Amino acid sequence: METETTNKQQVRKYGLITLIIIIGVLLIYYAVMAMIAPAKKYNGLKDEYGYKQVVKNSINDTIQTDSTYLALFREKAFLQARTSIAETDSIYLSINLVDSSMVLEISGVAVARTKLTRISLSKMFLDRNDYVISSMLSKPFTIERNIASIPKEPLMIKMAPKDTSEFKPDIIPDTADYEPVNYILEMNNGTVMHVYQEEKLNRGDRSHLFLFDLRYRLRSAWSTLKSVFTFKVPEYHPYIKVRLPRSDAKIIYRALPGHGQIAVYR
Amino acid sequence: MEDEILKGEVLQPSPDQKVIEDQKPAKTFFIALKVFIVLLALLFLFVFPVYLVPALMEIPKGNKTLVTNFLTLKKDPSYKKQITQLNRDIQRLSRKYSSYTSGQSYIVINTTDNLFYLYRNKKLIREGHCSTGSFKMLKTEEGRSWIFKTPKGKFTIQGKQTNPAWRRPDWAFVEEGMPVPERQDDPSRYEYGVLGDYALALGDGYLIHGTIYKRFLGMPVTHGCVRLNDEDLKAIFNTLSIGSKVYIF
Repeated sequence: METETTNKQQVRKYGLITLIIIIGVLLIYYAVMAMIAPAKKYNGLKDEYGYKQVVKNSINDTIQTDSTYLALFREKAFLQARTSIAETDSIYLSINLVDSSMVLEISGVAVARTKLTRISLSKMFLDRNDYVISSMLSKPFTIERNIASIPKEPLMIKMAPKDTSEFKPDIIPDTADYEPVNYILEMNNGTVMHVYQEEKLNRGDRSHLFLFDLRYRLRSAWSTLKSVFTFKVPEYHPYIKVRLPRSDAKIIYRALPGHGQIAVYR
Repeated sequence: MEDEILKGEVLQPSPDQKVIEDQKPAKTFFIALKVFIVLLALLFLFVFPVYLVPALMEIPKGNKTLVTNFLTLKKDPSYKKQITQLNRDIQRLSRKYSSYTSGQSYIVINTTDNLFYLYRNKKLIREGHCSTGSFKMLKTEEGRSWIFKTPKGKFTIQGKQTNPAWRRPDWAFVEEGMPVPERQDDPSRYEYGVLGDYALALGDGYLIHGTIYKRFLGMPVTHGCVRLNDEDLKAIFNTLSIGSKVYIF
């Protein structure tokens, strides 16, 4: 009887150890796969935007690290991106990460400006002198998906009265709005832009932002998890996180078209 | 005597019972510890993919671009050629870009805050409140619908009018529960004095005009047109000409 109990205890003990080992191995595998993702993304970008040798000469290998060349190249890339969008006649956003400013433009005309109070960048965007990233920024980003705490168009449905007796004139609209303004823009090149309001106006604003961010993180974690367990390297999404005054954040979100474009300078 | 022994047994527990009672707090502690460890493990399993893995992905890479400043490279004719070409491209693009901002007069309308900004020679000369689309969707039981919003983007002034009359569209009748006149030129469609002294046409029936509801200026209340007060409307009418640009966002 005593031996049976001891055996059971040992089986449970080994079972637990095996389970811990399996979970540990899976977590390590998950972490390793996730850590490979940025390098894979960068190599993909390198293939697409890397330095192309047009004419073979002695300077091609070193010029892409030259300070003067890189400074001019970054400037040209930003102008190129803005010019190409300006020709489309739509509303777009120019973000200058160096002087922390954001400008809403229509056909090359600045219609609204704001100062970014806080910027946080993915490691991919931190190296200002990376030729591949500078080259990638010469093409505007196109928004593929919006996730926001406010509606793009605050539509209100009103049923038409059947006759004049049912007609009631509109009362003054309630223009005081309290919703926090936070949104995430997913771009066509895999970059994700997080725009959060700077102010904490209400008590619930902090918890709202935490939950908003958590929901997005859970969604990303789920997609990473799916890739990893189908033995694929997950997609890496470099991010640009900015904070700006609430009113400006709202103006920008409402003004940008669903598939609007963004030019970035860093 | 027996009773005394029994009493004594009850009052003084045997050494075995004492051990069991001593073990009770320890057992409770171990159960609590187990529960704590399980909860901690579950928390870790949640935090790991949601916060830790994204943080691991962002561990800065070691090979940062090493910026060079070689004098020998700068003296190379191919280098000079490439730098000259880059400078030329930047100048060309900058010229092109600044040409987009018209030196002529133009107006910018912010539909989120219901504000306007009037520019002449690239300088702001007037700003103030306006009213833009209410974002109301009017629906009828027959399935007809209209959305009252101000269009966004770049427009041009297509026409200017003094003392404009308002030709009421179908929705103006539907909204008030009135029968819609069949003919477009029906006299009941025309209303005078409600659009102020001036109107500037943006196309597709959208106008910049005056209003009799001045208390609503600064609020989103219109059917898509841009409403202004009398003084601002007059200034805008006198500043903008046909072909002037209107930027609405």
